[in-house]
Amino acid sequence: MLLSDLLDAPVHDADGRALGFVVDVRLVLDGPLDGVLAAPRLHGLLVSPRTGSSFLGYERTDENSPALLARWLRHRHRGTFLVLWDDVLPPDETHTPPAPTITLRHDYRRWSPALPQH
Amino acid sequence: MKKIFAVALGVLTAIGGFVDIGDLVTNAVVGARFGMSLVWVVVVGVVGICLFAQMSGRVAAVSGRATFEIIRERLGPRVGGANLVASFLVTVLTLTAEIGGIALALELASSVERRLWIPFAGLAVWLVLWRVKFSVLENVAGLLGLTLVVFAVALFQLGPDWGELVDQAVHPRVVEGEGVPTYWYYAIALFGAAMTPYEVFFFSSGAREEKWTAKDIKQSRVNVVVGFPLGGLLSIAIAGCAAVVFLPRAIDVTSLSQITLPVAMAGGKLLLALVILGIVAATFGAALETALSTGYTLAQYFGWSWGKFHRPAQATRFHTAMLVAVLVGTLVLLTNVDPIAVTEYSVVFSAIALPLTYLPILVVANDREYMGEHVNGRTTNALGLVYLVIIVAASLAAIPLMIATGAGG
Amino acid sequence: MSPRLRRHERPFPPDEQLPDPPQPAGLVLDARLHLLDRQLDDVEGTPVMTIDDLELETDADGLTTVVHLLSGPVLATRIFGGRPPRDRWHRVAWRHVADVGTVVRLGIRGDGLDVLWVERWLRDHVIGRIPGGRHAPE
Repeated sequence: MLLSDLLDAPVHDADGRALGFVVDVRLVLDGPLDGVLAAPRLHGLLVSPRTGSSFLGYERTDENSPALLARWLRHRHRGTFLVLWDDVLPPDETHTPPAPTITLRHDYRRWSPALPQH
Repeated sequence: MKKIFAVALGVLTAIGGFVDIGDLVTNAVVGARFGMSLVWVVVVGVVGICLFAQMSGRVAAVSGRATFEIIRERLGPRVGGANLVASFLVTVLTLTAEIGGIALALELASSVERRLWIPFAGLAVWLVLWRVKFSVLENVAGLLGLTLVVFAVALFQLGPDWGELVDQAVHPRVVEGEGVPTYWYYAIALFGAAMTPYEVFFFSSGAREEKWTAKDIKQSRVNVVVGFPLGGLLSIAIAGCAAVVFLPRAIDVTSLSQITLPVAMAGGKLLLALVILGIVAATFGAALETALSTGYTLAQYFGWSWGKFHRPAQATRFHTAMLVAVLVGTLVLLTNVDPIAVTEYSVVFSAIALPLTYLPILVVANDREYMGEHVNGRTTNALGLVYLVIIVAASLAAIPLMIATGAGG
Repeated sequence: MSPRLRRHERPFPPDEQLPDPPQPAGLVLDARLHLLDRQLDDVEGTPVMTIDDLELETDADGLTTVVHLLSGPVLATRIFGGRPPRDRWHRVAWRHVADVGTVVRLGIRGDGLDVLWVERWLRDHVIGRIPGGRHAPE
């Protein structure tokens, strides 16, 4: 699987209701040790009502300046949430390419998209 | 002592490096048609390029990331790629204009046809890129470009009515016989001439070439904040000369010999020789900067090895890109296009391409992952947002005005 | 206009406060924010490529991890859509990555990597053959 297969893919819940689009993929370096670093494990998906322009990352960090720009971009990406990969139904492999639709389990949970502070 | 020397050198090269064929042509054309009534745009442009160059230089010094790496990283492959295409084309267009400027100046000096000089100019530019060290290339071109100061000398010698010139500058109005859209079209051209994207690519990549660190921020700020405004004063002197000589006679400037005419009138052969030397140096220096910028933008977008601090064999795609760019510029000129016309388009397209280069730098200059404690202060950000609005407005207005006025008619 | 959900289609109130997710033990990276489109340098700081895409694999236990950094033709398909044949993916294995910051750094020299074949080809056939191409500028 390519990372870009996931990016911008539409996300639905188990009833087929549209929830938004994958704007980013959260990885955690706690997979099996692979070389110097641990392998990045696919931890979850960040889902936003909009695609595009999320790259500036304001909605996930506490960067606040320039204030007007930060506020506007954050406003555009209100409603962004994190779902864990465990809450995603296994992708339909016959479906790729093009980008698959991501379907979530019926009991999925939404989490804050903020990155943990180091 | 060594430090003072370094600061002086930096400031002087910033002055000499500020004026290129775009500033020369646009200021002379505007001076002849609108007098000093667009001087305010030069001021706005100079403050803008100070702000922009200073931010991009600081980002490069602190994080080690040059401008197009930031553009790719923040805007992604699609929007970043669109910006690459636009910036690359504008830079090649500017490079073409600079090589044309070298050939025109050599034609003035020698009365040998410019088309014979063009291949020679292109070859000379490439040879310097190939063999000369970055610091030598930067300093020599900047220092020789300083001889353009003769435009200021000439303006004094012409003995203009200073009150009248100042009045035109501080009470700007559209000269009789010129349309309001034309006035604004040239306002954007002047703005684009002062704020060309290549200057920022060159400045930020140059910071990497010279291995700047956070310690060098102060000096780079002095270079920019002192050097560029003095370069801006030179631009205004060029416009002033044209305003004194051509505006009252209602003559349009369409050739390089006209741009130098006021200097010849004021100071005879000696000043004329100096001004031609200055133009050759300034356009040659800018040709090097634009050619390097074509390599920098491509290499930084695609992640290739780049920089003059490598041997050519260690940055082969970078050197191939520059070779091709210089070749294309030279071939385009051999089709007999008018370098002055190429220049007039290149400055307007510069203004159009600017926003997508400016925005990512403004954002990253605030990102603590990159900048640590060296993020923008409040004043810089306030000014940064004002300029974001100006840059976007100029970019959006440029094409409609170009169509409405028939590119300045 | 890129795809988006219109305001009335949005399933959740926009200003809802969501709970913080369980804190994982390892370093957290958002792929697009921290890896994609960043510069990859080799151990000596020489640029190798820009990270154009990542390849993920799911092992027998169902664990999905990043195994390769990709460059080359995948960039064109990321921009224009579609997907290049697998044998045209230029891969750099994750196990060579030594550090992730504003650049991603490898723990090995880049010389022999597949992704640099154009660089090597130009060195052997064009740039290296022009006089002075192998010497430092003066």
